[in-house]
Amino acid sequence: MNESDWQLPRPRERVTAPEAITRVPRPTIGPLDVDTIYVRSLVKSQLRLAIACAAGFVLLLAGFAFSFVLSPELDALIVMGVPVSWLMLGFGVYPLVIGVAVIYVRAARRNEAGYLSLSDRTVHDTGDNRA
Amino acid sequence: MNPVLGYVAIASVTAATALIGFFGLRFSRTTGDFYVASRTVKPWWNASAIGGEYLSAASFLGIAGLILLQGSDALWFPIGYTAGYLMLLLFVAAPLRRSGAYTIPDFTQARLESTTVRRITSTLVIVIGWLYIVPQLQGAALTVRITTGLPSWVGAVAVAVIVGVVVAAGGMRSITFVQAFQFWLKLTAIAVPVFFILLLVSDAPALDPAIAFPAQWAPSTPDPYRTVSLLVALLLGTLGLPHVLVRFYTNPDGVAARNTTLIVLGILSLFYVFPTIIGLLGRVLASDLAEPRAADALVLLLPGRLIPGPLGDGLTALVIAGAFGAFLSTSSGLIVSLAGVISQEAFGGSVRGFRIAAVVSIVVPLAVSLVAAPGGLAGSVGLVFAFTASTLCPVLVLGIWWRGLTARGAVAGMVGGGAACGLAIVSGGMLGPDAGVMAALLTQPAAWTVPLSVIVMVGVSLADKRHIPRGTDRFMRRLHVPEREGAPGV
Repeated sequence: MNESDWQLPRPRERVTAPEAITRVPRPTIGPLDVDTIYVRSLVKSQLRLAIACAAGFVLLLAGFAFSFVLSPELDALIVMGVPVSWLMLGFGVYPLVIGVAVIYVRAARRNEAGYLSLSDRTVHDTGDNRA
Repeated sequence: MNPVLGYVAIASVTAATALIGFFGLRFSRTTGDFYVASRTVKPWWNASAIGGEYLSAASFLGIAGLILLQGSDALWFPIGYTAGYLMLLLFVAAPLRRSGAYTIPDFTQARLESTTVRRITSTLVIVIGWLYIVPQLQGAALTVRITTGLPSWVGAVAVAVIVGVVVAAGGMRSITFVQAFQFWLKLTAIAVPVFFILLLVSDAPALDPAIAFPAQWAPSTPDPYRTVSLLVALLLGTLGLPHVLVRFYTNPDGVAARNTTLIVLGILSLFYVFPTIIGLLGRVLASDLAEPRAADALVLLLPGRLIPGPLGDGLTALVIAGAFGAFLSTSSGLIVSLAGVISQEAFGGSVRGFRIAAVVSIVVPLAVSLVAAPGGLAGSVGLVFAFTASTLCPVLVLGIWWRGLTARGAVAGMVGGGAACGLAIVSGGMLGPDAGVMAALLTQPAAWTVPLSVIVMVGVSLADKRHIPRGTDRFMRRLHVPEREGAPGV
């Protein structure tokens, strides 16, 4: 309608401005920087996983130790000539250790697979853009 | 005890170790072979080798002795020794393998871009290695004295000579075979006697359970501070043990490093069942050995006491062989990693330098073990773990997970934690056991020296933000980005 009235003095600015604004962040996040962000988030998720597993294990261990303090009758309960509390402390923690380890190894691989598929997609995207 | 058993057992373990060592010699030719076995070792071999290297005199003899001596508090030792590998799996196994470094000093130098950090880390690795070898040689001295009647020093010198020759001649590739063999030897040597004792011994004069397992030493009455501090030391100390870490570099990639650690957890859990059983049996059947000088010999003496005749003799020879295997394997693993560090520092990493360094690595702890009075095996090794947990563990964990770590922070934390822990151990040893709270804090220092080291490391790094190494992001990427299958170097 009245477009031509104000478009004429500065035609180029009006046409390029909206596109330029949406493009601004893109050049500063090049393929390399995107990957750095992915790596940092991979590190963060792996660390969260490791801390969660460690904390879970320490809590289990503390619960184990407190259960003996709270139920001293386990000391008097004799199985095969040895008090049950001694047997539990002597042999009962190892399954917990292995269980936590298995959970961690699987979850850590999942995190890494997630990173790999993300970064593959990014590599493909940038490749397509350039082509 | 019939000394012939001791001679035969020790001679055959030595011969087997040397044979496998020299058999492996054919494979190790280049400098790279010597240091990390060309990184082609499979997870099962590697896990067996880690187990062989890790299960030292403290595990083979010390745990059973300590259960006999101190009751259920000692049951936390094998738990800590095993769970240490869980922490290693969670926090360092895969990233450390991906770092591509040969030794801990290589890692800290590459991560923090500082030769000062490298020098301090090297010094700590050498000190920790020496401190850890001393109890192995003392265990050897005890074993030789008890089983052959020869003077104590013979055992220490024998182990030192054998290990020095094998390491200097064979390098690590052959050591991997030796270590894997040693693990299965140790497991057999302790499991078979336990099976026979459990099967055959039913009429031995056993103590009443109420006397053998008294209430004041039961799990229901723990010493909270000492237990927590011991666990901090054992769980975190494993992360920084130099002979354990060098083993991870022989995994082909980060995923293999994690699988190896998982297998290690399985085989350690299996192994520790047996010294625990011997310790519990000892409380019922051999309470006369429950004194500091004799308790560590429980594993060696129990089979012969309970099973008479040639079968008992055979089992005794087997445990002696296993114990000797434990001293040989842990010492040789430590010597390999120490020699690696010393030769890189002093001889530019040549094969000849490695051989000289191997000799240096064994002579110093041999001298110390001949002069110093032996303490309890499990306890001495526990203190080494406390020292490692207060120095190398924080720098590894923060270096792998925290971008903000700087060289100055790492140096301050390692020196601060190491000094505090070292002084505590030395002064705690002079105080004697009956000095109350102070004695607990000093003789079991990890619960406060590890946090101290971490706080100093983080605090100084935060104040030194301008000196965050430039390559940090690049290095973090290398540590954490998984290898792509079939596409190395992406």
